[in-house]
Amino acid sequence: MALRLTRLTERFSWLVAVGGAMLAFTSVFIWLAQMPFSLELPAWQPLSLFVSPILFHADGISWPFALSVAALTLTMLLTAVARPVVANSYNWVGALTLGGLGLMAVTADNPLTLLLVWAALDMTELILQLVSVDGASNNDKVVTSFFTRALGTGILLWANIVSIAQGSSFNFQSIPSNAGIYLVIAAGLRLGVLPLHLPYSSESNLRRGFGTSIRLISAVSSLILLAHVPADSSTTFTPLLAAFAVAAALYGGWMWLRAPDELTGRPYWIIGLGALSVTSALSGNPLGAVAWGCALILVGGALFLASVQQVWLNRLLLVGVWSLSALPYSLTASGWLGKSGLFLPMMIAAQALIVAGFVRHALRPSGRDTFESQPGWARSVYPAGILLLIISQLLLGFFGWDGALMVGAWLPAVIASLLTVGLVWATPRFRIFNPIRAHWVNPASSRINIFYNSFWALYRTIARVGNTITNVLEGEGGIMWTILFLVIFISLLTQGSY
Amino acid sequence: MMNAPILWIAVPFITGVLLLFFLRERISPLIAGSVVTILALIALFIPIDTALLLGSISLKISPSIQFFGRSFFLSTADGPLLAIIYGLAAIWFFGTEASGTANRFVSLGLMIVALLTASIAVQPFLFAALLIEMAAMLVIPLLVPIYQKPGRGVIRFLIYQTLAMPFILFSGWMLAGVEASPGDINITIQAGTMLGLGFAFLLGVFPLYNWIPMLAEEAPPYVTGFLLWVLPTFTIIFGLGFLDRYTWLRTSPQLSGAIQFAGIFMVASGGIFAALQKHIGRMMGYAAIAETGLLVLAIGLRSTEIVNVTFLMLIPRGLELAVWALALSIIKREVYSLQFNELQGLARKYPLAVTAIILAQLSMAGFPLLAGFPPRLALWQELAGQSLMTSFWVFIGMLGLLAASTRTLAVFVMARENTAWKLTESWLQMTMLGLGVIGLFILGMFPQVLQPFIVNLPALFIHLGR
Repeated sequence: MALRLTRLTERFSWLVAVGGAMLAFTSVFIWLAQMPFSLELPAWQPLSLFVSPILFHADGISWPFALSVAALTLTMLLTAVARPVVANSYNWVGALTLGGLGLMAVTADNPLTLLLVWAALDMTELILQLVSVDGASNNDKVVTSFFTRALGTGILLWANIVSIAQGSSFNFQSIPSNAGIYLVIAAGLRLGVLPLHLPYSSESNLRRGFGTSIRLISAVSSLILLAHVPADSSTTFTPLLAAFAVAAALYGGWMWLRAPDELTGRPYWIIGLGALSVTSALSGNPLGAVAWGCALILVGGALFLASVQQVWLNRLLLVGVWSLSALPYSLTASGWLGKSGLFLPMMIAAQALIVAGFVRHALRPSGRDTFESQPGWARSVYPAGILLLIISQLLLGFFGWDGALMVGAWLPAVIASLLTVGLVWATPRFRIFNPIRAHWVNPASSRINIFYNSFWALYRTIARVGNTITNVLEGEGGIMWTILFLVIFISLLTQGSY
Repeated sequence: MMNAPILWIAVPFITGVLLLFFLRERISPLIAGSVVTILALIALFIPIDTALLLGSISLKISPSIQFFGRSFFLSTADGPLLAIIYGLAAIWFFGTEASGTANRFVSLGLMIVALLTASIAVQPFLFAALLIEMAAMLVIPLLVPIYQKPGRGVIRFLIYQTLAMPFILFSGWMLAGVEASPGDINITIQAGTMLGLGFAFLLGVFPLYNWIPMLAEEAPPYVTGFLLWVLPTFTIIFGLGFLDRYTWLRTSPQLSGAIQFAGIFMVASGGIFAALQKHIGRMMGYAAIAETGLLVLAIGLRSTEIVNVTFLMLIPRGLELAVWALALSIIKREVYSLQFNELQGLARKYPLAVTAIILAQLSMAGFPLLAGFPPRLALWQELAGQSLMTSFWVFIGMLGLLAASTRTLAVFVMARENTAWKLTESWLQMTMLGLGVIGLFILGMFPQVLQPFIVNLPALFIHLGR
C-alpha cells in the first residue's frame, strides 16, 4: 500500500518492497521464541450466533508454511532484478499483498478465519490478474480460475454445515470424520491448477515472477486445510478419493517429467505434489501433507524463479532432490508415515517421476537469460534470492516444526530414490521419456476444452428447460398457470398436515 | 412535546407531497435524504415516550395518535427499527441524483416509506394490509412513465399485491375464531391457508414471483431495486408481528414446515434461474427473490434467534440492492438494454460501476468478506441444526447466485485486446458507489457494527425471542 501511495522511484520502491518482505521473513523466525501463540480479532456479534472468533494461530504445523510463503515472497522480489520488466511496482505490491494474505491463510485457526482470508486472496488475485492481462480469452481464464476457487470456498462452508448438523462447532478441532472429505475436495479445487495455464503469454515475464507467486501461494493456502483433516476421516468415499488423488499424482508426475520446460510444466508440478499432499492427508498423515506442501512451494519456487543461466546455481538447485526424497532428516521425511495401503507403490512411482522431472528441468534450463547484461549488484542479489529458498528447504528438515528431525519411513524413500536414479538415467535414452514439444501440450488443453464444452452443453440444456418454465409463467396464460401451481402446492401441504 | 407517528409518518409523507409539487429536480434528493437521515438519527438517539431534559427544556416524544378512529402507536422498542428503515431509505434517496432517476422517485419514495412505517404502527394491526396496498399503488407511477402504457410486469405486480389484501383481512377475521376455539382444526387450517396465501402474494413466493423478473426487465433499475427492498422488508416485519401475536402460528409445526418449504423453493429456484439469465436486470430480480426466500426461511426457524437472524439479513439486503441498482442505472444510461450482448467489455469503461455490481452480486451469493456473508452464515448454522437437506438447497441457491455473478463478470471483462482502462463515472457516482462498496466490506468484516441497531429489536417481538 505504501508503495502505491508514495509512488517512489522504481529503485526505492524495490528497496522498500524487499525491506518489507525481509521484515516478514525475519519475523517468522521470531515466532519460534513464543510458539504456540494466537491473535484474536474482535468477535462478531451477536455472540449467540457467531460462536467462532476470527483467530490466527502459529504452531508447529503452520510455521513451516509461513516460512515457505515469506521466503517465496522475498525471493520473488530479490530475483526480480534479473528479469527485464524490473521496474513494475504494481507487481511488487501484488506479490507483497499475496504474501501477507498467504501468511494469514496458513495461520488461520478455524474455518471462518480461513474463509475470510481465502476470499481476500481470491479478490486480490482476481483484481491483479484482470488488470495485468489483455484479450477476451485471457480474461475468461481469470474468471474461470476465480469461480473454481470460489467453489472450493463454498465446499469448505458446506463442510462446516455438515459439521454443525452433527452437533460439532465451527472449528478444525471438532470437525467430524465424514466432513473431512469435503476439506480434501475444497483443497483440491483451490489448488489453483484450473484453468491449466495462467492467462499470460509464454514470453511474458509476469509468468515467471508474479505468476509463480500467484500459483504457489494459492496452492499453499489451500494445502494448509489438509493439515486439519482428521486422521480418522475415513468414509465410504475415501478409497475413491484416494484412488483419484493417486491417479492425479501419477498424471502430474508423468506430464511434469515430459514437460518441454519448467513453466509449462508448473501446473503438473502443483497437481503432482498437491496430490501427494492429499494422499498423505487421506492416509491419516497431516504432517506428510504439510511436508509435501512445503516442498511444493520451496523446491518449486527456487526452480520457477530461476530465470538466469548460471551453472553453479543450477547445480545448487539439485538440493531440491534431497528435499523431495523423503529420506531421513529431509524436508519430506514425514511424507510416507501414513497408512497408504495398496496405493503406496503408485505413490512412490509418482514421487520418482516428480523428482526425475525436477532433475531434468534443473539441469536443462531453457529460455533463461544470462548474467552478462545484468549490473553488478543484480549479480549478487539474484543468487541470494534463490539461495534463500534452498537454505529454507534444508532448515525445515532440522528444526522449527512437528515434522523436523524425523527419520520417517525410510524404506519407501529409498525405493523412490532408486527409481528416481533409474528414471534420470533412462530419460535421455528412451524415447517415451523424451519431453513433449511445446505445441504438443495443446492436446491437454483440448481435453480440458472437451470438459468445458460438456459443461456448457449441460448448462444450455438446463437453460432451455428454465426458459420454457419462465416463458410459461410470464406468458399470456401465466396467471392461470401460477394459480394452478398454487392449488397443487396448497393441496399437497394441507394433505401433509392432516 | 412531539409525537412519534407524526414525526415518522406524517413528516416524511408531507415532505414527499411538497417535493412532488414544489421543488426542483436537483435539490429534492438532497432534501429527502437529509430528512430521512435526521429521522433515523432521532430514532436512534432519542427514546420514544421518555422525557429528556435539555437544559431547561423538557423533550418527550409521545408514542401514539388517533386518526379516523384508528390508533398509530410507536413504542420505545420501535426506535432501532425506525433508525434502520430511515437509515436505509437515506442511502436510496442520496443515490437518486447519481442514478439519474426522475424527481418523483424521492417524493413518492418518501410517501411509500411513510405509509409502510404506518403499517408497522397501525392498530388494529390488520389494517397494515391496507396501508401496504396503498404503498403498492404509489409505486405504480414510479414504474410507469407518464403517458406510457404499463407493461405486463407492472400489471401483474398490481394484481398480486391487490389479491394479497383480501386474503390477509379474511384470515384476520378467521384468526379471531381460531383464538376462540383453538381445538377446531378445520378453522385453523383454513385460517393458516388464507394467511399463507396473503403473504405468498405479498412476498412473491414461488410461483407468484414471476412479476419480479418481468418488472426488472421493463422498469428503471433503481426504482425496481427500491421496490424489491422496501416491500419485502415491511412485509417481513408485518409477518413477524403475526407470528409474535398468535401462539398457534408460532407453535404450529405444519406452518413452520410450510414456511420453510416456501423459503427453500424461493432460494433454490431464485438462485438457479439467476444463473440462467442473460439480462442483468432480471438477474437482480431473481437474486432478490432468493434473498427474500432466505428471509422467509429465517422467520420459519424453530429457534429463539428468529429476530436476530432476520434483522441481520434485512440491513445488508438494503445496501446490496441499493448498490446493485445504482450501478445498473449508471450502466443503463450507456446501453440500449441490459442484455449480456450489450454489456461486453464495459468493465474497462465503467470499472467502478461494474465492481459495484459484481460485489453486490457476490454479497447476495454469500461470498465471505461481504455484507451478505455473516447473516447467511448465521442462518445456515441455525438451519443445519434443524435439517441438512434444507441447508443443502440453500447451498444450491447460493451456488446459482455465485454462477450468475461469475457469468456477469465474464461478460463485463470480455474486452477486445488493447482496450484501455478509463473512469467514465462522474464524481458523484464514484462517491456513492465507493461508499456503497465500502459499506459492503464493513458489514462483511465487522457485522458487530449492526449490534447497536439489532440488540433491542427482540423487545419488539417479545414472544418470538423466547
